[in-house]
This record gives sequence, structure tokens and C-alpha cells, in this order.
Amino acid sequence: MTDRTAAPAIDFRGVTKSFRLPDGKTLTALTDTSLSVGKGEFVALLGPSGCGKSTLLRLVAGLEAPSSGAVAVEGRAPEELVKAHRLGIAFQEHALLPWLTVRQNIELPFRIAGRPVMRERVQGLINLVGLAGFEAARPKQLSGGMRQRVAIARSLVLEPEILLLDEPFGALDAVTRRQMNVELQRIWSESRISTLLVTHAVEEALFLADRVIVLSGRPGKVVRTLEVPFARPRHPDVMRTAQFHQLVDELTETLHPTDGAGH
Amino acid sequence: MSQSATANGPARPSLVGRIGRTLLNFWGIALILVLWEALVVLNDFNVIVMPRPWAVFADIWANPGLYLQNFMQTAWVAMGGLVLGMIAGTTIAVLAWSSRILNGLLTPIGLIFSSIPVVAMIPVLARMLGYGTETVLAIVAILSFFPFFVFTGSGLKLLPAGSADLFSVFGAKKHQRLFHLALPSALPNWTVALRLASANAILGAMVAEFLMGTSGLGQMLHAASQAFNTERALGASVCATIGSVTLFVLVVSLEARVRERWT
Repeated sequence: MTDRTAAPAIDFRGVTKSFRLPDGKTLTALTDTSLSVGKGEFVALLGPSGCGKSTLLRLVAGLEAPSSGAVAVEGRAPEELVKAHRLGIAFQEHALLPWLTVRQNIELPFRIAGRPVMRERVQGLINLVGLAGFEAARPKQLSGGMRQRVAIARSLVLEPEILLLDEPFGALDAVTRRQMNVELQRIWSESRISTLLVTHAVEEALFLADRVIVLSGRPGKVVRTLEVPFARPRHPDVMRTAQFHQLVDELTETLHPTDGAGH
Repeated sequence: MSQSATANGPARPSLVGRIGRTLLNFWGIALILVLWEALVVLNDFNVIVMPRPWAVFADIWANPGLYLQNFMQTAWVAMGGLVLGMIAGTTIAVLAWSSRILNGLLTPIGLIFSSIPVVAMIPVLARMLGYGTETVLAIVAILSFFPFFVFTGSGLKLLPAGSADLFSVFGAKKHQRLFHLALPSALPNWTVALRLASANAILGAMVAEFLMGTSGLGQMLHAASQAFNTERALGASVCATIGSVTLFVLVVSLEARVRERWT
């Protein structure tokens, strides 16, 4: 499905992003970063916290503008896709509206886009994320994992061209997180949307992505790109193979070089 | 889940049981009435100094039409003023939210206006609107305005974590942000404003009536105390208290219901 000969889904050309801090100093989050995500490709951005990977995602989402360089999504400015309601996004804070039910939260993008609610599509997604029977529940009645399922269903409901995932499982415990990764892999395989996932979990990145891009610490910069060799659909057992473990070790070393410090 | 909890949980108390329990919560008031009665009888106080509680209730019982007419007058003006203040306070808070220029104009005016003691405004308003119901209505509206303006204003900014970014990425327009996000987010705060304003509405109406001496419970209180008719003066207070407490209880239960659903 990955087609990198056509115009890429996301294209970063020499992007630098700096913020002016209240005390007058400038913080550079990203320097001269170039990368791209192909159509139908799942790319994971891996990096230590504070490396600007979330800034990168916010640039794609049109929530920030680059200080220099260019960001193109489907060959256009991110704002144009936002206006056309073609972006799907899920954050670590699930950002569900507490006064709405599960179903109403998932229907929200239709209402914002001013389109009639496609009830079958909504129900299909509720079933896909395994929340059948919880349509009328409110977010506070759900577990953390279930809230993230709702957030993911909501991000997919308008069949976006680009899916942006900003540490969607970052607040979950390890067991739930692993389970959600397996679920997301299954859900994603149904649609194969061009996806950019931001994470600091190496296993998550390797299990989900076609390609892993490692960013260095502040200011962020691409230090490594890895083509993930595992075929799709991926069975959770892939995480137990020696090859998987070896790649986890390699990427962890890239992320946090031990420099012969002895641990 | 909630169904089985109801089925297995303890049976709800009967209506009589619940009324009994509610009365039991007010045993302190009954104690005060008994002590008051005892104090007057034991000290042999003059009726003008301090009537017995029994005599106060007897006066209400003997003149139901008079009390009801004045009560309805005050209640009507208090409710009308409350609603006017609610509409004005909420609308101006929304206008201040919608534009930075309006915010800079309206917020200081609202604050200065609310800092003027209401008693100082009565003579001015009475000159403008006449010594009648309109002025009482205006006083209550001004008193109610402030909590609605302040609490709605801050509530419009109390958004669920991540929801503002979410709405941006979904391409929400300003009015959608207002109706789908900001206004629902403000509702818990708005009910706090309602509670504070309703506690003051009847008080405000009575102060205005008392000072202008036109109609309602305030005027009744004023006239009765001028005529050393202490039973009637206290009777007016009892009616006002019943009105205030009823309104307060209704508003608190509404607030609890909103809080239950919103958090």
C-alpha cells in the first residue's frame, strides 16, 4: 500500500521552529528538519521527551506555523486540510467532552464539519474499537483505555486523509498500552490512512509503524530512519521474536546513547 | 451496571420517611423557636420589643391575603430581576469572550459597575425609572448581573484538556467553538452564578422596596416597623426567608445535577 513515488502525504522541508519564551530567550524546538510520510504509510516519530516531536506533529496539524522551512500536507498548507476537515487527531489527553455520551463524542466531527451524521459509520467505528454496548456511557464511566478507543474512533470518523496520533496511549499502564497497540494495529489495517505517530515508547513504534524516525534531544533533529521489516498484518507474537528485541535494543541505544558509561 | 446496583441496593426510603428525615435536619431551627418562645415568656418582654414566634405565625394565619399579595409581588420582581441579570451577565460575558476588543471594553466597565454599592444606586435609579416596580427590578438585575458576568466569563475558558486543539484541528468555526465547546464548558460555573445570584435576589428586592417604600415584602416590613407592629415585620421576614430558602434549595439541586453530569 505504501507508495512513495506519488506526492508524499506529509512533507517537511528544512523546518525550524523556535518559540520566544516569556523571559525574552528563544527556545529552538526543531532545527532544519526534513522528513516525509508516504501515502498510506505509518510513520512513528521516536524521541526523548522535549525533543520537539510533538511540535512537529502540531506543525502538521496547523496548530503552529514553522519559523522557517515549509510543511506540506497532501501538497497543500495544513490550514487548507483543516478547513476541509481532512485531518484526524488523537492526543494523550483524550479530549473527550464530558457532557456528551460515547456516541455523541464520536459524532462531534460531523457536527463541526456541518455534515449530516452518518449513523452507520459511527456505529461501525464503535464496533471496530470494541465499544458496542457503551454507546450511551459518558467518558467518566469509562476506563482510560476505553476513553482512548473513543478518541481514536472520533479521529477516524470523517475518513481523514491524514491521521495524527500524539502519544495516544502515553497515560495508560503498560498492560493496557500493549493491548491498545494490538487494537490500533488491527484498526489501522482496516483503513491504512497515512499516519504520523509521536511516541517515546520503542516497542510501540516498532510494532505499529512501517518506518521509525528517531529524533535527537533539544533541539530536535532526525538522527536515524529505520524501515521496519515485519510484514503486515502483524501478529502480537512478532514482539517476542529475536529480531524485534534486537531492533528495540538498537533504537534504545540511538535514543539514549550509553557512550560506554557502563550501564 | 447501574441497573443491577439499584436492584441489589437498599430500597429507597418512602416519601414520609424522607420528609421526616428532612425535618430532622432542621431540628436546629425548631430549637431556636422554642428558646425564643421561652426567652420572651420568662423575661416577660413587651410585644413591641420581641413578640413570641407563635404570635408571628398567628398574624400570618389571620391575614393570608395581605401576606400572599406582598410575597407574590416581591417574588415576581426578584425572579424577573434575576432573569434580566442572568441574560445581561451571560450575554456580555459571551461578547467579551468573542473578541479581544470587546473584552477590553466590557470587562473594566462590568467590574466598576459591580463595585458600586447597590444602595448608592437606588436614588439615581429611582430618579431615572421612578419610584416603582421598574426600579426594584433594575436593582435586582444589577445585583444578579455581576455573578453571571464573572462566573460565565471564567467558565467559558475552563475547557476540557486538549479540547481547544481538537476543535482547531477539526476546523471548527468561532460559533461552533462557542456552542459545542465554550458554553457547555461554562455551564457548571454558570450554575454557581445562579446560586449566588438567587441567594441575593430576594434580599435585593426587599432592600429596594424597603428604601423606596412602594410595594412588596420590603415595604410591608418598613411600614410595620414604623408602626411598631413587630409581629407583622417579623412575619414579612418569615415569608422572605421561606422564599429565599425554597429558591436556594431548587438551585442547589440543579447545580448538583449539572455537576454530576459534567465532571
